[in-house]
Amino acid sequence: MLGVWEEVKILGVGGGSREHALAEAIARSSHQPKIYWVSEHRNPGIYRIVKQSGGEYALARTTDPQKVASLAEEWSIDIVVIGPEEPNFHGVVDEVERRGIPCIGARRRLSILEMSKAEMRRLQWKYNISGKLLFKTYRSYEEAVKDLEKHSELLSWLQNVALKPARQAGGKGVKVVEDAQIYLHNEKSQFKQRHIRWLEDYMSGYTDIEDKILVEEKVWGPEYTLQCFVDGRTVVGMPLVQDNKHAHEYDIGPETGGMGSYTGRGFLLPFMTREEYDRSLKIVKSMVEAIQKETGERYHGFIAGQMMLTEIEGPTLIEMYSRLGDPEGVNVLAMLETDIVDIFEAIIGERLSKIKIRFREVATVVKAVAPEGYPDFRELAKNHPIAVDEGLIGESGCKLYWGSAHLDESSGKITTGGSRLLEILAFGETPQEASQKIEECLAKGVVKLLDGWRIFHRSDIGSEEMIRKRTEIAERVRRLYKYREQRRILGKRIDWIPKLGKLDPVKELLNELSYGGS
Amino acid sequence: MPGLIGIYPFGLGRENWRLARFVYYGLLALQHRGQELASIITYDSGGFHESIEKGFVDEAYTEEKLNNLPGFIGLGYVAPSIDQKPIIIDHPIGLILVGDGKPNLESRVQPSWKAFAEMLADEIHRTGDALESARKLIEEVGGGFSFIALTENQELIAGRDVHGVKPLEVGSLGFDLGAIVSESSALDVLGMEHITHVNPGEIVRFNPYSIEKARAKPKDKPNLSYCSFEYVYLARPDSTINGIGVYEVRERIGMLLAKERPVKADIVIGIPETAIPFALGYSKASKIPASLGFITTGRKVRTAIKPSLFERLMGVQLKLNPIKCVIDGRDVVLIDDSVVRGTTLRNTVWNMKRRGARRIHVRIGSPAITAPCPHGIEIPPPDELIARALDEKEIAEVVGADSFSFLSIKGLCKAIGLKENQLCLACWGCGKK
Repeated sequence: MLGVWEEVKILGVGGGSREHALAEAIARSSHQPKIYWVSEHRNPGIYRIVKQSGGEYALARTTDPQKVASLAEEWSIDIVVIGPEEPNFHGVVDEVERRGIPCIGARRRLSILEMSKAEMRRLQWKYNISGKLLFKTYRSYEEAVKDLEKHSELLSWLQNVALKPARQAGGKGVKVVEDAQIYLHNEKSQFKQRHIRWLEDYMSGYTDIEDKILVEEKVWGPEYTLQCFVDGRTVVGMPLVQDNKHAHEYDIGPETGGMGSYTGRGFLLPFMTREEYDRSLKIVKSMVEAIQKETGERYHGFIAGQMMLTEIEGPTLIEMYSRLGDPEGVNVLAMLETDIVDIFEAIIGERLSKIKIRFREVATVVKAVAPEGYPDFRELAKNHPIAVDEGLIGESGCKLYWGSAHLDESSGKITTGGSRLLEILAFGETPQEASQKIEECLAKGVVKLLDGWRIFHRSDIGSEEMIRKRTEIAERVRRLYKYREQRRILGKRIDWIPKLGKLDPVKELLNELSYGGS
Repeated sequence: MPGLIGIYPFGLGRENWRLARFVYYGLLALQHRGQELASIITYDSGGFHESIEKGFVDEAYTEEKLNNLPGFIGLGYVAPSIDQKPIIIDHPIGLILVGDGKPNLESRVQPSWKAFAEMLADEIHRTGDALESARKLIEEVGGGFSFIALTENQELIAGRDVHGVKPLEVGSLGFDLGAIVSESSALDVLGMEHITHVNPGEIVRFNPYSIEKARAKPKDKPNLSYCSFEYVYLARPDSTINGIGVYEVRERIGMLLAKERPVKADIVIGIPETAIPFALGYSKASKIPASLGFITTGRKVRTAIKPSLFERLMGVQLKLNPIKCVIDGRDVVLIDDSVVRGTTLRNTVWNMKRRGARRIHVRIGSPAITAPCPHGIEIPPPDELIARALDEKEIAEVVGADSFSFLSIKGLCKAIGLKENQLCLACWGCGKK
């Protein structure tokens, strides 16, 4: 396809740390591409890379397919690369491809795997792909509360649940409430009801989906993300990454987009086995096959399974991304040895199986830094002026990836956007070593808000204690699911409810699905 | 030895929580740490709602009382004396503090905590930085303690002295609640995840938007000094403290007792409830079968911490009704957790003999208590401590046992799995500051 002598023009979409890492990987390419970018705020890191390559940077709504496609035409772009999920949901890929420009990104109907958490789960049940969770969807507060209350008396699985918006909503609004102590039931039930009310209000802003509220059975176990390249024929897995969703130290606090992530050396995390990796990859592959079959379209781009090792199913799909994770994408892109432009070309030409994709044998840790107020009170976290000592970050052996920060072109001043401000990455022989490097770097005060507003990050990510804990939990879960597997009851759930007798929630769910679907 | 609990909500909808009942059940799980005074303090937009009650948690707080306690931040406290109350500061900032142990500020527990809380409030007011204020205070003030404080600005601050004498553990619920408690069993009862312990000299600060930690760094590098009495007696056996399971320690103590002081007998009996794991360990190591020896009348009462002799004896007599058919005609290894004055043990031995026990060999799952606790645990004055006045042989004669022995200090350290210089052993007469 493209030879080194030809100039390649690549347009990236999106303005977070993941996109900064994408821009960096593209800039490393031996094709010496000219890099163009479009995002809603001016990411200082991407801006510099774009300028150095001789490309251009536009500020625009990245969910506007016409706008993005027109920019691509205007700049005679060869390949468009989508970073975040919303452009996928809005059909940016479809429009870019319609105008004859190859695109690395999921088309609208394919990205439903991420956009509708409910659709994703229905598909998984329909194709009987392993790693499933029981779920129910509701269109209103009344419907949800009535059903949940009824089931709380029956002590069914619906008592210990994750409450989610049925649509991907920037990682917002997920609550997990284990309501197993009858003496605290009133408190927990009231809290759940108020949250369902909030979900209903929040989802009324999204008109692209009928289901509003998703309720899934609560599971426990270590989480991990498996990110892949897809070309419509082949799914190629990358090293596993563990992201940490809780905002604060000790795994306490609200769900965020991810406060930091780590990899082991190579493809496996310290607490995962090769077999579990293979099973996870099989799940992601089967999901891609299923959605391609449903839509008749071919998936070109990134896909990821946000997964968990669970007692009931073994490797289990929690959610899917139609993109790289953030921060998980930063880990793998930093490890990637193969020229990313060669990979893009292989995806476009559907010959991923023909190339060898290599990653550095090194552990990585990424930690996000955010202003206080993130994730749930973002107004407080917005518009604070920032000073970053990039030189000192480099000297500390760390790398900086700008995130939710806006560069004012004329004054050169940078202000916070309210989400994760930046991410710091370090390599190491072990995650612990990399984590330590980042801690030492941040302790030097390399990131400051000039108005004195406080920033935070998680010191525990990648630490020895965290990995020991995850390993302990993984071992406990593995014992349980292996036992189930031996007994051939993996994935089986049986309830016995006084007066009603034996119930099979899986059968009930399948009945409901075929009824609802016909 | 009071029990502490602090529960704190984060994120979206944090003000929707009502935490009084969480605190209540947490305190029920900590009831063994103090049975004279109970307190639930909550916070909402109207400020603090505090209530301090006498007696058991479930007697002090009725359903109605709990239903009427609003608030989305909760603090709880149980104490073994009605004189040890939560400290309430109004000026220069509003702050409520509950503490376990004793900072070295005054000679007595309550005034010492009052001084500590006042200094903390002043420093927070002066600097505006609660984390740094607490860190400085911990560096400057000696003693063995842990505390949880809540300010009028919704800052929850928890910390431990630099030697880590008193316990403090961390837990969470879902994406919403964080908790700091004296013992992990309180987290279990609340359906919470037990995460880890607060490190010695560490301070944790919760505010609505973040969790931050700091570590006190005194000039001389402090050694660990975990309270060994926690593992022997104070803590619940289902708790994990400083990463060490309490039950495990108690079972090992029993096993070591059997090795240190073997004896021929037909049966091993532990005095409920604390000494039962010791007895099971003793039985395991000695191959002498263990059995239940007593049935309790009335509610669970920790007899050793009752203020008066009359109450202690009454407690023991109600608590320890020997089961005749178990002991009649048998040689018994009788295991207790500790001996202070020996009065209640004497009563128990006499009762068992009367019901037919042939020989009674008393084994104590801890060394002899011979000195006061420097960290505020109420131990009777030296002239009331039987082990100060008498040796093991003499004690056996006094209580009417056929033999009597304590666990060695070395054995205690081995059972806990730490070195002598990592534990506070002051009450066993091992002087170390």
